[in-house]
Order: sequence, then structure tokens, then C-alpha cells
Amino acid sequence: MDFDDTPDEAAWRAEVRAFIEEHREELGRRGDERGFDDHVARARQALLYDGGLVGVTWPVEAGGRGGTPMQQAIVDQELARAEVPALINLIGIGMCGPTVIHHGTEDQKARYLQRLLRADDVWCQLFSEPASGSDLAALRTKAVRTEDGSWRISGQKVWTTLAHLADHGIVLTRTDPDVAKHRGLTMFVVDMKAPGVTVRPLRQMSGGADFNEVFFDDVVVPDTERLGDVGDGWRVALTTLMSERLSLGGGGTEIGIGSTAIVEHVARHVGALPADRQALVRQQLGRAYVDSLGTRYTGYRQLSAISRGDLPGPEASAGKLAGTKAARDLADLAVRVLGDDAAYAVSADGSSTWQDLQAVLPGMAIAGGTDEVLRNVIGERVLGLPPEPRADKGITFRESLAAAGA
Amino acid sequence: MNFDLDDEQRDLAAAARDFLAGSASPAVARAALESDDPATAELAPGRDALVASGFATITVPEDAGGGGGSLLDLAVVAEQAGRVLAGPSLVTTARAAVLLAGDDERLARLVDGSLRVAVVDGAGPVLDAASADAFLALRGEDLVCGPGVVDVREPIDPTRGLGRVELGEVEVLATDARLRWEHAERVGRVVLAAEDLGAAGRAVEIGVAYARERQAFGRAIGSYQAVKHALVGAYVQVEQLRSLVWWAAWAADQAVDELPMAAAAAKAAAATTLTTAAETLIQVHGGIGFTWEHDAHLYWRRAKVDRFLLGDDVAAYDEVARLAIAQAEAAGPGGPSPEAGALAEAAVAAR
Repeated sequence: MDFDDTPDEAAWRAEVRAFIEEHREELGRRGDERGFDDHVARARQALLYDGGLVGVTWPVEAGGRGGTPMQQAIVDQELARAEVPALINLIGIGMCGPTVIHHGTEDQKARYLQRLLRADDVWCQLFSEPASGSDLAALRTKAVRTEDGSWRISGQKVWTTLAHLADHGIVLTRTDPDVAKHRGLTMFVVDMKAPGVTVRPLRQMSGGADFNEVFFDDVVVPDTERLGDVGDGWRVALTTLMSERLSLGGGGTEIGIGSTAIVEHVARHVGALPADRQALVRQQLGRAYVDSLGTRYTGYRQLSAISRGDLPGPEASAGKLAGTKAARDLADLAVRVLGDDAAYAVSADGSSTWQDLQAVLPGMAIAGGTDEVLRNVIGERVLGLPPEPRADKGITFRESLAAAGA
Repeated sequence: MNFDLDDEQRDLAAAARDFLAGSASPAVARAALESDDPATAELAPGRDALVASGFATITVPEDAGGGGGSLLDLAVVAEQAGRVLAGPSLVTTARAAVLLAGDDERLARLVDGSLRVAVVDGAGPVLDAASADAFLALRGEDLVCGPGVVDVREPIDPTRGLGRVELGEVEVLATDARLRWEHAERVGRVVLAAEDLGAAGRAVEIGVAYARERQAFGRAIGSYQAVKHALVGAYVQVEQLRSLVWWAAWAADQAVDELPMAAAAAKAAAATTLTTAAETLIQVHGGIGFTWEHDAHLYWRRAKVDRFLLGDDVAAYDEVARLAIAQAEAAGPGGPSPEAGALAEAAVAAR
């Protein structure tokens, strides 16, 4: 047992560090970034791509390096350590691109993949709908084939991160309502600037607007933009979701904000409190910090599996569950020690860091699989508990709509 | 990065499992609970067999007759001991091995079983006092050893052999021994957490097995999210605890400056996790889980006692917080860095 890099890993880490060091100023720092400029973000990703640090695990013919997940994890760690802002095309790299790699035609791969890695094009993923969140296969957005072989898409997607900036998206549609819900789906690449696509930003409870609702009104998509076979969209979507898990695969980075930063903040405030209050704060800090240590070292176990060449399994969901809870508990404490300022959105000195963090974290228990869905995944696929019966089993999608009175 | 057990440790776990599961069981713990005299209640495998197996003295150096193994090796064994509620605790020999380091004569007697020792913390309940006739204690700054009078009171968990110890005439084994004492205590916390890891993991297994079998309203109760999610919650805690136990055991051997935090975190998490796992086990079973004849309460008893051993969980969480705050304050000469706020802002922006 050790926490050290292998010689190969150490050499790669040195290479990554040297690149970051050489381009230190161009890459920018998270703290510096005031507002979000997508041109700057695209340029940053292009710089990193040209340096070989984007799409590390992608095949060479797809524009990647053909490297290992461990090499990618080392890149992630070093970029985080250097406080380089997150890549703009994370969703494209983690979810859309791998789907094109596995299911796209040679023509699609040639047109899309390298541009995606360089952020010449930004991508979004159009899965969730107002009536289908956790139950993704219940989606209603329709794609209907026309006489010339192209498709017309109508419907609404929601919670679509980056749709307002995206050039392309992968969209999961229903092409046949008269089979079971998982069977009648088909995936397409859609041009987000095409006529009939309307993007409306959604304001989140935290005040920010990173995600959107997207309306498709008879949007024409040529058949050459289909990903996978007609009716095979569920299998294609599983590739996307599997890739998401891999891209989140415990790269040793923490959810929300590093526990170190929160402890520093608490340490700065705790001394000013009365002694009995300090004891209560320490109790809360101790509990949340133990949880965050547990998450960190469980992440190292996953990283070790990746380093050996294993792929993260459904047990990786446990890391997200526990990490989300630890982050929420730490953020709660970070706000609490503000004293009277804790009841206001902005502190008397004008800062709102901790209040903002507090308002962001409830979303973490929903995005990328709600806590409840993750518990089902662990319960059924790790512990072997039986699934909940499904009322829409053995009937067509159309019948399930009728049964639900929709 | 290789934060995982190696093949030898997996083999060791399998061997320990064979030995411990072949001798100890919750049934023995129940029988001990029914015994008329808790001072003489029989434990399994019992002190003699445990020492004779060699597992208890894995961490004693080879030239003193021990196994010459790491604390991680012992933690792997302790997890197996916890699964079957074995007694006495491996905590006791692990602490003694640290306290007697360099005293090859006594270590040899620890290994051959003639030194039946327990470690006395202040005036509190002493783990494995019931099966001991020699006691190690800290007096001032001196490490002392001697006989004692043991008062074993009615136990919640009879496998822990708790009693109050009145020391007789003691011999000073070492002066200036506080640091060694504290190190031994931390090593003890790691082993305790490893035993609790095993007990909690086993409790989840029993609960899962029952939830797959038991039917209500026409289907297995494990298919209901209310039951499933309770078990998953306990399972997730168990896996987090496993990571902390491995880290703490590794730190004791390889990075002793990390041990105070790691041992306190493992101790605290162990108390919380075993409590959750045992209470979930009872709840999932419904009425049968509340009966004397079911094993669930034997795991619950372990939880209710272990949380108070080697400092209680509240003290351990407090220690974690104090250490974390001290680390933050030491991070820079001007105290905590103002970058904390910038980092947090960045995290918000990244969402």
C-alpha cells in the first residue's frame, strides 16, 4: 500500500506540471475569473488540447492521446492544484464525445471530435425533460421521419447545461411510441443554431443561470446525424451515462469546495466565539471533516483501481452520495460561523462566498443522479437487493401514457 | 497510487476468517451474556487460543517471537474478528505490543501467552480486564506494570470483558513514557475501528440477506426504497470507514505524523458507523430483530459499548476538529490564508 505515483505516472505528472508552469499566465486562475467569458474559456481549452492535456483517454484516431484513465486523473489533479478553471467542454468531453466515438459514423467522427476537444465547438447533452428526469426512458420529445429520409424533432428538454453557448448537442428522442419505453428511442446530433431550436436560460435557486430549457419546434435533422440505429437510443444513451461515470471516476477531486478551504475559514472565525459555542462548532466540524476524509480516502481507493486498469463500477455512486453530504455539512458550518451575517445573502463586508456555496449545494444532490437514484443503483447493483416493481413494465409507451391519464 | 490491500494481506484475511469464524460466533457472545458470572464467562476464541494462533501478536517484532507484521496486517485480522464478535479484543495485545517495545522478555511472554495483560486507562472501564492478571498503566509519566484486583460488572457486551481495575504493587517499566502511551492509544483506536468495521460490515450483510428473503405486501422488503435506502446508507458508511481504517493503519506504519488525525477520524467514524449498521439491522428485521434469540442485538451491544472505548466518539470528533483547526492555523505564518475565500468562490463559479 502506498500513495505514490508509479515511475510512469510520476514522469507524466512532471510533464503535465511543466506544461502548466510554462503557460501559467495564459491559463488563468479560478479566483481571477470575474464572470464567465466563453471566448476565453474556449481559448484555454484549445491551448490545453494543443499541449496534449485534453481527451487523454480518447483514441488517437478520435483526436485523443490513447492514454490511460490514470493519466487523465493526473491531468485533472494538476489542473485543480494549479487552480486552472474547469474546461468549458467538460460535458462534451465526458459524455457527448464518447457517444460519438462509440456510435457515430466515420463522417461524424471526422467532423466533430477534434473540434470538440479543442472547444472549437461546445456541446450539450439533451436528455432530461419536464416529465422525465430520473425516469429518463419516459421522455416524450418526438422525432418523426419525413419522406426525404430526414427527421423532424419536436418537444422540450430541460436542465440543459451550457445549451445557451452550445454549437451542437446530442438529443435523445422517441421515434416509436408503440413499443416498450426503452425500445422506441433514437439518438441524434443536433445543430443548436438550427431553425426551430429555442434556448431559454433557467435561473437557479442560487441566482446563477448555467442551465436552460430547450424547445424543439419541427427542427429538421438529416438522417446522417443519427447516432446508432433507429430504436437503439437507449443503448446509445447508456454509453453516454457510463462515460459520465468514468469522467467523474474519483479523480481525487472534491465536490463543491475543498475541505481545507472551509476549515481555514472556520479556523479564522472560531476563536471569536464564546467557549461553549466553540465546543459545538468543533463537534459539527469534526463530524463533517471525518465525512470528507472518508470521501477523500475512498476516492483514493477508486483511483488505485483506475491505476491498476480497472474501471469504476456502480460503487462509485457511493462516493458521490457521501461527498455531497460532506460538502453540504461543511458549507452549513461555514455559513454558521459568520454570526449575524449568516442570516443575510451578503455579509457586511460585501462578501457572499459562503452564502453562495450554501445555495449551490442542494443541486449537487440532484445533478448527475439524485441521491435516491444513486441509492437504488447501489442497493440493486452492489448489494443485490430486488428492484422496485414498475407499473410501466410489459406495456408500450403509448399505453403507459394512457394509464397515467396523460 | 496503490491504496489497496496486497495479495498477502488478502490471504491473511482469508486465514484469519477461517480461524475466527471457526471458533467465535454471535452464539458464543449470547451464551456469555447468559452466564451467571460475567467475570468467568467464556469468550471465543478466548485469550489462550487467540494468542496461540499468532494473530494477536502479529505486530510484535520477529526477534521477540512475534509475527513482525504491520498494523495494517493486524487491522485486516481485526476486521475478521469483529465480524464474529470475537473476544478478547485485538486492541489489547496491539497496545501492549507498543507499550512493551524493546522489552523482549515481556514481549516473549505476551507471545507465549503467559503474560495475560490488559491496559488501564485512568479509572475508567478496562477492556479485557476479566481475562487479565497483569496490567499496564501510565502513572504520571511512567509506564508501570503489575497485578490488580478486577471488579467485573454486569456487561452490556460480555465479549469486551470490561471491569474496574485496582492496581496492586507496580513495577516501573519506563520513565518519560507519555509519547509511547499516546502512540499505543492511537494504535488501539485503529484496531478498535477495524474490529468495528468488521462488525458493521457483517451487520449490513445480515440485513441485506434478510431483506432479500422476507416478503411483505407480496414482494421482498428489500425492494422497497425505505428499506433498501436504509441498508445502502449503512453500506456507504461502512465503505467510508474501511478507507479511514486502512489510511490510519498505513499511517501508523508509514507516516506517523498523520496518525493522530487518522486514528481519531477512524475511531469516531467507527462509533457512528457501527451504531448505524446495528440499529438498521434491528429495524430491517422488525419484531424478530428485537428478540433475544436473534443476533442483531449482539452487534448492537458491541456498538453501544465500543463507542465509549479509548475515548468516546464525541471526544474523537472534537480531536479531529482541533487537529484540523491547528493544521489550518499552521498553514501560513499569517494564519489561515485569504485564498480560502477565493477558492470557494471559484467552486461556486464552476457550478
